[in-house]
Amino acid sequence: MKTSAWVVAIFLLAGTASVHATVHDQLFKGTFDIPADAPTSAADAARFLTQATFGPTPADINYLMAQGYSEWIDEQLAKPVTLAEPTVEAVVFARTNGGLSVGQTQRLNRTYWQFAYAPDQLRQRMAFALSQIFVVSDQSSAISQDVVPMAHYQDLLANDAFGYYSTLLNDVTYSPTMGKYLNTYHNVAPVCSGSGSNKVCSTSPDENYAREVMQLFSVGLIMLNMDHSPVLSGGLPVPTYDQTIITHTAQVFTGFTYSNAPTNPANFYYTPTDYAGQYNPMACWGTELFSANNPNMKHDVNGDDEVFGVPLTVLGPSGVGSVTSINAATDCSIEIGAEMVAIASHPNVAPFISRQLIQRFVTSNPSPAYIQRVATVFDTAGNDLGDVIKAILTDTEARNPPALASGDSYGKLREPVLRLTAMWRAFNAKAPAPDAYGEVKMIAYGGFQGGFGQSPLESPTVFNFYLPDYQQPGTFADNGLYSPEFQITNTSTTYTSSNIYYWFTAQGYQGYTTGTPAAPPVDRPLIDLSSLTANAANPTAMVSTINASMMYGAMSAAMNTRLTTMLNEMKSGGTSPTEMAWSAIYVTMLSPEYSVQR
Amino acid sequence: MSQSRNSRREFLRNMACLACSGSAAALLPQLRMMGTAMAATTSLPAGYKALVCLYLQGGNDSWNLLVPWDTARFNTYAAARNGVYNSSTNSNGLGLAQPASGNAQIVTDLNNGNSATNKYFLHPNLTNLASLYKSNKLAFAVNVGSLKAPINMADYKAGTSVPPQLFSHADQTGQWHQANTSTTTALGWGGLCADDLQGQDANQTSNPQLSLCISIAGANRFEIGNIVNNPYQLSSSGLTNLNGMCNPCSGGASNSSLRDSALNDLLAATYPSDFAAEYGNVFGDARALFSTLKPNLNTGTYAVSTTFPNTTLGNQLKMVAAMIKLSKAQNYATRQIYFVQLGGFDLHSGFMSSADANNPPGNTSDHAGLLYQVDQAVNAFWSEISAQTLTNNVTLFTMTEFARTLQSNGSGADHAWGGVHFALGGAVNGGRLYTQGMNGLNGKGIDGAFPNQSYGTLTNPNPNAFSRGQFIPGLSVEQYAATFAKWMNVSGTGLTAAFPNLGSFPGGTLGFLPTA
Repeated sequence: MKTSAWVVAIFLLAGTASVHATVHDQLFKGTFDIPADAPTSAADAARFLTQATFGPTPADINYLMAQGYSEWIDEQLAKPVTLAEPTVEAVVFARTNGGLSVGQTQRLNRTYWQFAYAPDQLRQRMAFALSQIFVVSDQSSAISQDVVPMAHYQDLLANDAFGYYSTLLNDVTYSPTMGKYLNTYHNVAPVCSGSGSNKVCSTSPDENYAREVMQLFSVGLIMLNMDHSPVLSGGLPVPTYDQTIITHTAQVFTGFTYSNAPTNPANFYYTPTDYAGQYNPMACWGTELFSANNPNMKHDVNGDDEVFGVPLTVLGPSGVGSVTSINAATDCSIEIGAEMVAIASHPNVAPFISRQLIQRFVTSNPSPAYIQRVATVFDTAGNDLGDVIKAILTDTEARNPPALASGDSYGKLREPVLRLTAMWRAFNAKAPAPDAYGEVKMIAYGGFQGGFGQSPLESPTVFNFYLPDYQQPGTFADNGLYSPEFQITNTSTTYTSSNIYYWFTAQGYQGYTTGTPAAPPVDRPLIDLSSLTANAANPTAMVSTINASMMYGAMSAAMNTRLTTMLNEMKSGGTSPTEMAWSAIYVTMLSPEYSVQR
Repeated sequence: MSQSRNSRREFLRNMACLACSGSAAALLPQLRMMGTAMAATTSLPAGYKALVCLYLQGGNDSWNLLVPWDTARFNTYAAARNGVYNSSTNSNGLGLAQPASGNAQIVTDLNNGNSATNKYFLHPNLTNLASLYKSNKLAFAVNVGSLKAPINMADYKAGTSVPPQLFSHADQTGQWHQANTSTTTALGWGGLCADDLQGQDANQTSNPQLSLCISIAGANRFEIGNIVNNPYQLSSSGLTNLNGMCNPCSGGASNSSLRDSALNDLLAATYPSDFAAEYGNVFGDARALFSTLKPNLNTGTYAVSTTFPNTTLGNQLKMVAAMIKLSKAQNYATRQIYFVQLGGFDLHSGFMSSADANNPPGNTSDHAGLLYQVDQAVNAFWSEISAQTLTNNVTLFTMTEFARTLQSNGSGADHAWGGVHFALGGAVNGGRLYTQGMNGLNGKGIDGAFPNQSYGTLTNPNPNAFSRGQFIPGLSVEQYAATFAKWMNVSGTGLTAAFPNLGSFPGGTLGFLPTA
C-alpha cells in the first residue's frame, strides 16, 4: 500500500517531507518542546481545524500539532488580514473597461478563494460567522449593485474580527452598505409643523436600523442571564425594550449620507463616482457641519416625541422600563457615540453574541455553563472578540466532546458552504489561473444561495439563512433542542446542494476535461485525487484516507464498510481509479455522518 | 429507501408524540397506522380541498391594497400618507391617487348597504384581483392582526393582553404562523389542522408518505404540527435529478446504481447523532418521494395548461397547481395545505418610484411592482384552477406579519400591526369586506367597518391607532385562520387544539367561507 500524505498526516506524529519553511522551524521546536496543549492525535488536530478553519489540510494538521492550540490561535489572531476589496475592485475595473458585465459573482469568486486559501483562516471563519449576525445581503435591491462596497463590508468584518465588539458595532453602524441595507443612509429628521401640543409631524425617522441593531446585533428581545437563560419576572421573560424605545432610537440614526457628499455647495443626495466614497464610513450631517436651523442639517436634534430640549430615552440596562438618557441637542457623532455605549455596555451583549458564535463554530446546543464561561470572557476582556473566539475554541466543551451514544445532540449540522470548502482543502484543490481580467473563478455555475440556501452576504433577509433558535420538528423540537442549519436542509435543498457538490467532485478534479475540444474547466478549483487513486487497488486504504481527510477519523465502522463495499464493486466492474476516487468523495459529502460536525 | 421503512419511521414518530401531546387529535393518526376500524368513524366529508397560504414576507403595506374611495375618507387617507422628504424621489408621499368615478378598480362592499361609505378601490396594479372581487370570488378581511384577546388603547397602555414583541418581524411572523401569541410553541396552525385532518382522513388516500402540508418556499412554522410535523418541500422549478445517481435505478450494476445504493443505505442507517439521523430522514424522504412524484409531476396529462408569469411567485404557484393536479388525480390526499411566499415587502425605503406611473410593473421591487407580481401570479393560478374545474375546492389567502405605518419615513414606512388580507376561492362569499367583530367587542376594538385613518392630534389622538398610524387590530389572526380551518372540515377538537383562544373573540370565525 502506498502511503498518502493524508495517512502520514493522520497516523504519524512527524510531519511530511514537503512542508513550508516556517513549518520546519515549528517542527524543530516541536521536537524539543512539545506544547502542553498539543492535540493528542492528528485526528484531534483535524477535528479542531474543522471547527476553526474552512477545513483541515495535512500541512495545517502537522503545524497545529507542533504548535498546540493556544499558540496556533495566537498566531492566527496576529496574522494580517486577507482583503477582498482591492482584488474585487481591480477585477470590476478591468471587466468594466473590457465591456463585460459586473455583478456579485466577482465578489463571490474572491470570497470563496479566501475561504479556500487565505492563510488567516480563523479570521476569515470569524468574519463569515459575524456576517451571519451583522447581516447585509445582495438579495436586497438597495445594495445588490454595490459589488465593491460589499467586498469592503466583508473586509470590515475581517478587520474587526478580533478587535473590540464596540469597535465592530460602531464600524457596522457607519458602514454605508449597512446604512443602505437597513435604511440609516438618507434617514433624516422629520418634517414637523406647529409646536407644543399642537406639533404635527408628517413623517418620522426610519425605524429599521434602530430595531435590528438591538434585536439582532447586540441585545436581543428579552433580558438574559450570563448563561443565556431568560431573566424571568412573574414567570415571564422581560422584554429588553419596547416600541417607544425603537421610535426614540430611530431619531438617533438620522443624518447619514456618503462620506464625500459635498457640503459647500451642499448636496446631501450626492452619489460618489469613486469606490472609496461608496464604502468609507458615512458622514452624518449634524450640528458639527451645519447650524441647527440650516436645511442641510439633516440630523434629528429633538428629544423624545420630537420635542426640542428634552433628552432621548433609549435602551436601558435592565429591561423594558429602564432607559438611558442621551442628549439629542448635540452633534450627531456625540449622540450616536452615546447610543453605541448604551447598546454595547448592555448586559445582554455578552451572552447573546457568545451563544451565536459558539453555534457557528462548535455546537448548536452549548451548555449554559459553556455560554457563561465564554460570556464572562467577553465581559472581562472588555469585549475583545479575539479573546472570545479563543475561549470558545479552547473550552473543555469544544475540545472534549461527550462519547457518542444514542440520542447524541452535541455538535452541529455543517453549514453547506463549509461542507464544500472542507472538501476543497482536504484534497488540495488547485484554483484556476486568473483570467484576462485578473479574476480567479471558483463557483462554476454559481447559484449557491438557492442551491445551498446559504452563500456569503446573500441571506434572504436580515434574519440570516437560519435562526439561532430554529428547532427542527421531531426529535429536536420534542427535546427542546436547537438546530439552526436544519432550517435550510429539506427535501429540496438536499438535492440541490448535492448537485452543486457534484460540480466540484465528479466534474472538478485534476484531469477532468469537458467540451469540444476537451479541456479542463476554468471556472472552478480542481481537486487532487492522487491520495485516493494511488490506492485504487485497495479500497480499504481509500476509505481510510477519506476518513482521515474529511471526517477527522470519526467515520463509523458501518459507513466505512459500506463505502468499502461500493468501491470493491466498482473495482470488480473495472471502474477507473479516478471515478472510484470521486465517487468515494461525493457519496461521503452526501452522507449523514459527513454532514455533522462533532 | 423503501416505503415500509418510511412508514415505520413515521409510526415511531407518532408513537413518540403520543406521549408528548396526549390530545385526541394526536391519537387519531396512531389509529390510522394501526389500521383499526375506529379510525373511519370520523371520516371527512367526501371530496378534495386545498388551502394555499400566500405569505407576503416583510410586512405588506396593505393600507395601499384597499383604500376608501368616497371623498371624505379618501382625503383622510391621503393626508395620513402624504409625508415627503425628497420630492425628487417621492413626490406623492405614500398615498395613491383617487381614481375617477367609473374606474375599474373601484369596488363596492356588498356587506354595507350605505352607498356613501361602501366604495373602495384596489391598488391600480391589482386589476385581476379587482375583477375577481367583482365576480364575488374574492373577499377582504379588514384590520386583522395578532391578538391575545380583544384589546383597546387603554388595555395596551396598561399592558393588558398585549401580544409579546409587537413590530418584530420574526416574532410577528411566528404569531401569524401559529395564529396565537404564545412564545413557547414551535407549531403552526396549518400543521395542527393537518394533524386533525390526517386523523380524519384514515385510509382514504393512496400515498400516505406525502405530507398533507407542502411548501414551495422552504421551512416555515405554519406547516408544523405534532404529527404532520414537517412539510414536503420542493422548489418552484419542480423536482430535479440527483447528479451521479440513477433517478431512479432501472436494474443493472452501473456506477450510478452502485453510488445510488450506497447513498440510500447510508441515509437509511440508524445513527446515534440526532443531527445525522435527522439529515438521513430528510434526504431519505426526498429520495422516496422523488421516485413517486417525479414521473408525473407537471408532465403529460398532469401538466398545467395555463401559462404562468416567470416570476418568483408565478413559478411557486405554478408548482402548487401542478401538485394539486397530480394529487387530485392520484388521490394522494383529500386535504392539502400549501405554503408559498413572496419577499421584499419590508419597504422601509424604495416604497415608490417614478417608474410606477405608467406601464406596470415599472420597478419590480417596489410596492407597486410586488403587488403587480401578486396580481399576475394569483390570476394565472386561478385560471389554472378553473381549468382543473377545482374552483370550489381550492382557497388561496394572504398572511403577512404586519401592515405598515400610514406615516411615511421619507421613502417608505415602518412596522405596524393590523392590516387588510384577502381570500380567493369559488367557495368564498366574496365581493365583501369582513369586519365583523369590530363592533361590540365588549367595548374593545375599532368601531365602524373600516378604520378611521386620521392621526388626530397629540392632545386628541385617534383612539384606535398609535401616533404613526399603527392600528390596533379589530380581528384576530385566530378568527381569520379558523375560518379556513372550518371550511377544510377540521373537527371541533382540532379547532380547539389549533385555536385555543377563539372563544375570546365575539363572533368567532368570519363567515366568508361556509363551514361544511
